[in-house]
Amino acid sequence: MGKFRATDRAAAEELFNACYPRLAGWVRRLVDDDDTAHEIAAEAFTRLLARWSSLENPQSYLYMIATNLVRDHWRRTGRERRALRAVSAVSDGDPVFHPAQDVDVRALIQSLPDRLRQPFLLYHYAGFPIRDVAAMLGRPEGTVKADLHQARSRLRAALGESRA
Amino acid sequence: MPEPHDEVDTWLNVQVKPLLPPPDTFERVSGQARRRRLRRAVLSAASALAVAALAAVVIPRVAFPMQETGRHASAAHVSPTPAASPQHPTPVASSPSTIDASTARPLPATRSDPPPLSVTFVGTSTGWVMGPAGAARQCDRPAAPACMVLQRTDSANTSATSWRTVGAPPARGPSGPSGVSQVRFLNLSDGWAFGPELWATHDGGQTWARIDTGGLRVTALEAMGDRVYSVWARCTGKGPAFASHCTHFFVYSSSASSDAWSPIPVTSSGLNIPHVHSAASLVLTGTSVYLLLPGGHLFASTLTGASLPPLAPLGPVPAPCQPGPAQPSGQPSGALLAASGSDLALVCTGPQAGGGQRKTVYTSSQAGQAWHRTGTAPSPGTATSLAESSSGTLVLATSVGIQVSTDGGATWTAARGARPAGGFAYVGMTTATQGVAVPADPSRRAIWFTHDGGSTWTASRVGA
Repeated sequence: MGKFRATDRAAAEELFNACYPRLAGWVRRLVDDDDTAHEIAAEAFTRLLARWSSLENPQSYLYMIATNLVRDHWRRTGRERRALRAVSAVSDGDPVFHPAQDVDVRALIQSLPDRLRQPFLLYHYAGFPIRDVAAMLGRPEGTVKADLHQARSRLRAALGESRA
Repeated sequence: MPEPHDEVDTWLNVQVKPLLPPPDTFERVSGQARRRRLRRAVLSAASALAVAALAAVVIPRVAFPMQETGRHASAAHVSPTPAASPQHPTPVASSPSTIDASTARPLPATRSDPPPLSVTFVGTSTGWVMGPAGAARQCDRPAAPACMVLQRTDSANTSATSWRTVGAPPARGPSGPSGVSQVRFLNLSDGWAFGPELWATHDGGQTWARIDTGGLRVTALEAMGDRVYSVWARCTGKGPAFASHCTHFFVYSSSASSDAWSPIPVTSSGLNIPHVHSAASLVLTGTSVYLLLPGGHLFASTLTGASLPPLAPLGPVPAPCQPGPAQPSGQPSGALLAASGSDLALVCTGPQAGGGQRKTVYTSSQAGQAWHRTGTAPSPGTATSLAESSSGTLVLATSVGIQVSTDGGATWTAARGARPAGGFAYVGMTTATQGVAVPADPSRRAIWFTHDGGSTWTASRVGA
């Protein structure tokens, strides 16, 4: 276990104060409410601080963890919505649940496969350079560029379909 | 109309609005991180000890014949160091090093220590515990004066949890149609004491108002988002069995910040149940409310803010077991329901025999429309409470301890840490890692916390 010295704590607190509001705000645009955004941002910082001494680029790690936590959150809520949609289908005539049908960009990003969504969020949304995204994901830069291109193409096509 | 890719750019280019952290977030985060580092270190050390112990047992057996042959007389001097290094950390299921031996002793009581009947948390640091002042039997008497005590902590995520007395509802313990036994808070302001009466506060306990339930008894209550839901039942149970002999069940809801309670409509023949010895269970998830009724009928509705969609039955097949008689908390004893997202978990209990009980675990990933038997929990003890953390870990409280399953109930592991005599009456998971349990014997004047997802539990004395 790496020791967490007073200087580490001061540095961690400085990073927290500098990065938490933006990270939580970043997550907030990907989830439905402030509480979930705070929960995800806090969990990302907890994991960061738990591995503080072994990290070279804490900010990248933060956003990488947050991206994965958002993905997990989407999966949970997605399962729940699908299940409740099924519930509404079996209770014929009951005004139980009618999920919103409007398509927005966030939902389309959510529907991207992990392989494309991660680089898209980290590069386009979090603003990390391709080199950093490649390092975070452990992929060659060329692969990341190709994934980003494919992600944009899919989003463009999906938006086109949603209007058709 | 803009081009599609412009719409993506527009979304991407919207300035991220910073969200300031809630008070004490850094302290909470750094405390959790510290515990995780410590846990890793403990596991590594325990792993090293385990491997070293293995080496101590195995090496002499290997070395002995070698010494006999005289070919490797130095074999007994094989350094254990390489084997003891934690290169391959393995989970240590019951390492003594993780047991807090100090909590095995009864915790000393002070006059302001309420024997905890119920506990509620609104985050990892802030929670309340409610119990009777003095002996519970005296507080439960019909003629007893208001005697419930409420205490609050804001340091549950630290190693030195402290409590202070705050305003409690002017009620006594549960006895037939009167008194309260349970407490829930949604946030720092809005809270409720119930079972069987219903009281509400909207100023953190400074003032309480009794809600008129028209003679119905409140047997369950949960709050989420900006609403509170509760089960109101027509019951005739006497004494502490306030939630027994119930024949009619209703679900009422109110905005959390007001006391405007109204019933949620039901889309079937209603909730009038002939099973007079059975209780009902209420579970909330982020988007839905589930109600398990006598007969095993499961109803659900969505949490959609101000509107109140009706409760609809979930498919034609009832749950694989019936709730059964009520426990002292008002919760069913025969079917323990928990949820994480739309994944429901149900522990069906059999009759008690020889200090044990059959505990069959079912899960449903289809919001209760179909159930799958996933396994059985260990038979020793009587199951009392089931919780499912946000990461899907099942935590089962029993009369002999706590069992944990991370695979939907297929396999179970006994939680580490000292156990109170009589086991636990309630368990709840505040987050994926932090949870709280209430002992079955409230006279211990302590509650138990976990900070590692249920694997390890340690006692924390309550009392100002």
